[in-house]
Amino acid sequence: MQNEEMYQLLIKMKEGDQQAFHTMYDATFQDVYRTVSFLVDHKQDREDVMNEIYMQMWTSLANYDTNRPFQFWLHGLVIRQVQRFRVKSWRRFRIFERIRAFSHDESYLDEHTALMDGTNQMISQSIRELTDKQRTVIIFRFYHDYTLEEIATLLDIPLGTVKSRYHAGLQALRKNIGNLPVERMEKINDY
Amino acid sequence: MTIERKIREHLHEEAQTMECPPAISKRIEQSYSHYLQRKRSEITMKKRLIGGLVAAAILIPTAAFASPVVIDMLTRAPITSEQVKLDEAGKATLEKLYRAIPETKSFEIIEASYLGDPNDSTKKVQLSIVLQEKGGTGKKITLHTNGITDEIQDLTQENWEPKEKALITLSDQEIKGKVDQLIDKLYGNIKDYEVAMEQMDNPNQKTFILNYTKKGSEGFEGGGYQVFVQGNSISLSPVAPEPNTGVEGYFSLNGKPDYTADSFLNDEKLFALLKMSPKELKEELAKGKTVVEIAASKNISKQQVIDVIARTQAEGQLQDGKNKVTISDELLKQMMKEIEPKVVHVIEHKTETEWK
Repeated sequence: MQNEEMYQLLIKMKEGDQQAFHTMYDATFQDVYRTVSFLVDHKQDREDVMNEIYMQMWTSLANYDTNRPFQFWLHGLVIRQVQRFRVKSWRRFRIFERIRAFSHDESYLDEHTALMDGTNQMISQSIRELTDKQRTVIIFRFYHDYTLEEIATLLDIPLGTVKSRYHAGLQALRKNIGNLPVERMEKINDY
Repeated sequence: MTIERKIREHLHEEAQTMECPPAISKRIEQSYSHYLQRKRSEITMKKRLIGGLVAAAILIPTAAFASPVVIDMLTRAPITSEQVKLDEAGKATLEKLYRAIPETKSFEIIEASYLGDPNDSTKKVQLSIVLQEKGGTGKKITLHTNGITDEIQDLTQENWEPKEKALITLSDQEIKGKVDQLIDKLYGNIKDYEVAMEQMDNPNQKTFILNYTKKGSEGFEGGGYQVFVQGNSISLSPVAPEPNTGVEGYFSLNGKPDYTADSFLNDEKLFALLKMSPKELKEELAKGKTVVEIAASKNISKQQVIDVIARTQAEGQLQDGKNKVTISDELLKQMMKEIEPKVVHVIEHKTETEWK
């Protein structure tokens, strides 16, 4: 959808046009949900983050820079809410450290990863094992195809920092995925 | 295959398997409807605020708003504190006040006046009393009462907090608590109301507006109280229930609904005169016509339209809280004449142009 069109929809939505809300939601929720799922492991947390992102949409429309693509603004909202959530969950983690230590591993894998074959599960697992900061860069680079410069703008951090997170992340993945047994590698090369 | 490509393909493939659970969509939809509900009541409050300021400007001489013409036609006659105590409305007002805030019994009446109809001395529109604490602390209370029904239309409580810790410096919760208490003492039943507190865009002085509305009703549908907190004072006035008729935003400006003329055009008698529903009128205005043009197409003269709206407005200005004040026909006609220029301006306005 065109930027201008999206912006008009947002304005209408903010003024109370329910139809505009539905159009906007339908056009965005898959992308938002998938991005959030890559970045946030727990199901309930994803739900909270999603809700926050959309609530931000109608409260912070004033910050929308019409010169930039709509998608970019949307992903900015996603990133900020995910980061906010991480700060919160870190605090929670300190308190419930022990409890979570038990349930932690289990939550990494949910239905869709369970359905994947061994190799894909391993890539998935490796990405999830990256640090949050590395993971964010990897997802926006490879899932959304942003340039490293764009990621720097989105995250509001220097380009050098993005580069080092990117390389460290890639290094870690290379180590894990590169260690796959030979027959599995062939399977990956098939497609 | 490079590792980069591998990751990219894997991510896209994995994404395909991720479906957003319906529960999430449901929840977001709910959040949106909550947002809408809040927003709708804000609009009503803003509209109400405009109306409230107009009423304040007309009937409350102490208000710091530009004095409109209407007030000049009513005369304000000073009276002594003895006269207040002998007057029926005065007695009733003081009793209410003493019951609500017993410490005011020791206050002295430093000023009192009647706002009346110069053509008819029995028509007393409004009684105003200012009381002050004896001694140096400066606690002060100003009351405006409907001269006929005894209802307190407006109360301003000043300097109740020590100067070094003025009301406005307290936390939102504390301010709200003080206002709650004041309403409860004066009018009771605070539990039936819910409050929305909002800081106003006032660059010169921090000002809060608190809108108390009946629980479960939208905006001021069921009546309520509107309160301003500024400096070291609380200014409180009851709001009459608002009939839920008419439409919002008859005109538009910069692509947004413009509520400026709503209080003039949401007039049952006007709809009857034009034989149109509010919705139809709004649709016609949206085409860029003026109210005068719409009336003309129905063989209704401009003067007829003016008379209908001006009468409603004049009568509205004499109305407070829940009751109406009656004045002589002669004075009403005068008031209508004074309001006429404003009415003409509204009915000659076209949508998407600036208001003068």
